[in-house]
Amino acid sequence: MSQKNCPTALEQILITTRVEKVMNWSRATSVWPMTFGLACCAIEMMAAGASRYDFDRFGAGIFRATPRQSDLMIVAGTVTYKMAPIIKQLYEQMPDPKWVIAMGSCAISGGPFDSYHTIQGVDKVVPVDVYITGCPPRPEALIQGFLKLQDKIMSSSLADKYKEIFEGLPR
Amino acid sequence: MSDYVYDLKTAPNRQVTLPITVPLPSLKTYRAEQATAAKAEEAKFQKATADFETAKAKAEVAGTELPKPPVKAAPKREVHDLVTPIPSEAKDPDLLRLVERLGEGAEEAFEQSGELVCQVAKERILEALILCREDAALRYEMLSDETATHFPASSSFAFSVVYHLTSLSRAKRLRLRILIPAGFEPESATQAYPAANWLEREVFDMLGIRFQNHPDLVRILCPDDWEDYPLRKEYPVTGWGQRDIDFRDDRSGRLERLAMEKAGNTGINLKVPKAE
Amino acid sequence: MFDETEYMEINMGPQHPSTHGVLRLKLKLNGETVVECRPIIGYLHRGVEKICENKTFFQGQIWTDRLDYCSAVSNNLGWAEAVEKLFGITVPRRALYLRTLLTELNRLASHLIWLATHALDIGAMTVFLYTFRERELIMDMFEAFCGARLTTTAFRIGGLYQDLPPGFEAMVRAFLAKFPACLDEYETLLTENRIWKKRTVGVAKLSAEDAIALGVTGPVLRAAGVAYDIRKAFPYAAYRELDFEVPTRTEADTYARYLVRMEEMRQSCRLVAQCLDGLPEGPIMAKLPKVLRSEVNEIYHPTEAPKGELGYYLVGEKGSLNPYRFHVRAPGFANLQALPKMVEGGLVADIIAAIGTLDVVLGEIDR
Repeated sequence: MSQKNCPTALEQILITTRVEKVMNWSRATSVWPMTFGLACCAIEMMAAGASRYDFDRFGAGIFRATPRQSDLMIVAGTVTYKMAPIIKQLYEQMPDPKWVIAMGSCAISGGPFDSYHTIQGVDKVVPVDVYITGCPPRPEALIQGFLKLQDKIMSSSLADKYKEIFEGLPR
Repeated sequence: MSDYVYDLKTAPNRQVTLPITVPLPSLKTYRAEQATAAKAEEAKFQKATADFETAKAKAEVAGTELPKPPVKAAPKREVHDLVTPIPSEAKDPDLLRLVERLGEGAEEAFEQSGELVCQVAKERILEALILCREDAALRYEMLSDETATHFPASSSFAFSVVYHLTSLSRAKRLRLRILIPAGFEPESATQAYPAANWLEREVFDMLGIRFQNHPDLVRILCPDDWEDYPLRKEYPVTGWGQRDIDFRDDRSGRLERLAMEKAGNTGINLKVPKAE
Repeated sequence: MFDETEYMEINMGPQHPSTHGVLRLKLKLNGETVVECRPIIGYLHRGVEKICENKTFFQGQIWTDRLDYCSAVSNNLGWAEAVEKLFGITVPRRALYLRTLLTELNRLASHLIWLATHALDIGAMTVFLYTFRERELIMDMFEAFCGARLTTTAFRIGGLYQDLPPGFEAMVRAFLAKFPACLDEYETLLTENRIWKKRTVGVAKLSAEDAIALGVTGPVLRAAGVAYDIRKAFPYAAYRELDFEVPTRTEADTYARYLVRMEEMRQSCRLVAQCLDGLPEGPIMAKLPKVLRSEVNEIYHPTEAPKGELGYYLVGEKGSLNPYRFHVRAPGFANLQALPKMVEGGLVADIIAAIGTLDVVLGEIDR
């Protein structure tokens, strides 16, 4: 080991990093999703949280029943015309910072339900961060999508947040 | 920007081709069709025989080979595991009993695919339902299902309403059917079977049939402000455009306004309707 | 002046952890007592009936998967048999046995989800983790058979599209050897559990007369003492040749429904074992023309789904490739109609138990 890489006495007790990274790290590793099952995908979401797949390993095991305590809305299922305003309201009730995962082809684009009462994708209602394909996606796919979301959170910048809040630009 | 109106109803994916036939299973219609088909077949055979006679006479005169006499087409042999179910005469004691009790009220009774069907006069459906439930020989305790079908091609009626009754004690099923013109309001079945409450609400929601004396006839699946009745045949699968409403406008409209102002300043039209 | 009570009206759902999806209830309460309960549905209405009327008979099956997504195979069976009845198709015996086998496995999976969510709602979290452990084994079998875990599209009109994959029988046998012990394990957690009994015994009663009048079927009706099971009353698939019992109770409360469903799971295990033992040899697909064009016919085909009577109503048009009219008689639709009857006069906390015991799945109720 070269002299340069050898930690000094000070470095052994201190970690130097950026505030932004610490904030992102703490957010990404304790994302609390909201229990919000709409249709078929909710069963796979439950399976992801249950014994075999154990979603809790990634810090997202605490499914909250109320939007006011959660950071992540997993839209698991078909969004209909009657349900859309309620999803919108739930999203507005969630505290910032908040993220949305569109799980399954129905939430992405209406899926097989190309019909009169189905909204063709939840991104017509709320902004979506991660899309997970499948009908329904396997629990592994949900975990993969969640890891992608963690990457996104880790790479987010406080400057963007500042702009969003103070300059009033939509995300 | 705001004066641009996109007419969703004329979009190509909302054009519907209406059905041209009336697929209402019925013993009478089936027999009439069979008779017509047999008559046509017979006429064809007669013509072929006459042709054969002339050709034979010609060939005898000319001394050439005689033509083959026409043969009646043998019924097609089924090579598949498929036997098309055809309506047959009502033989089941339940149907006979119902016809006997209803008299003129029973318009038709037949069996098809092992199911008992009785078509009842539209004004007497409640009487028929109560009879099915109360009669000691029938005892159909449960209304399993009630639904309706739209027949735009028919001239004499617009909808058929079917009631599927189940007898738990006797393990039997029966279908009652009424044919109603547009605007006719049949008696609600809730007076005989409380289970009909939601089923009739659904029929009203989906096909727009109103029922008399129903306790609570409001839409059940679609929202109250829904336009038109989705399961009618002239209604397109993609609907009249409610699903394309953009719900992303925030409630105060602040962000939207900001974005629109910015867009307006730079000359971008953000609100171009989605081309279908 | 004092007899004028001021009622409180509260809204429950559609986003609620224990409404099993997007069910909404409008409640009128007098203190803790429910005076009026009005279910509002339609938040998952996707227009399945309209879509299927515009798709061919072969395509239509994939939408039936998504009706009652906890028991897709039961829905597939109903669809396949309904279309076969419409056309008058005879299915080979081996296909019937394989269908029954898969349907009973699916009944187990569906009841396991019911037990998990019902217990979770009432406050027994452990059961949720246990049942999903066994459910994953069933999902593995479906995956081996057709590649999908949940939305199986398992059957084809006229039979099956493929035979059992190699190793499937060993999987099922291993599961059958293990599963009864697991059921005992759940029962040790719940059956004599004092909290469980307090939350379920005598709760959400529904008498046999009311149940029949409201069209309630399935385990809810059987827990009221009516031994009505379509597998026995109107046998379909291979049930005519199989030996099983219809468990009934007379208490008509939530606890009785729990016992009935637990016993049904044991009976399903028996049925699966019988299907494997008596599996006949032969073809798995009927001989059919390349294109199926329907004749004028109308049929209603009931099957016993895990939740109750699942009926498909189909109208065929002459020479047409798609159904003229398609209607689903969903068991949950009729069962949910009885919810006000069950909860009115009871405590507001018992609504959670009542929804759980009805085993509602909004996908089939709203369609």
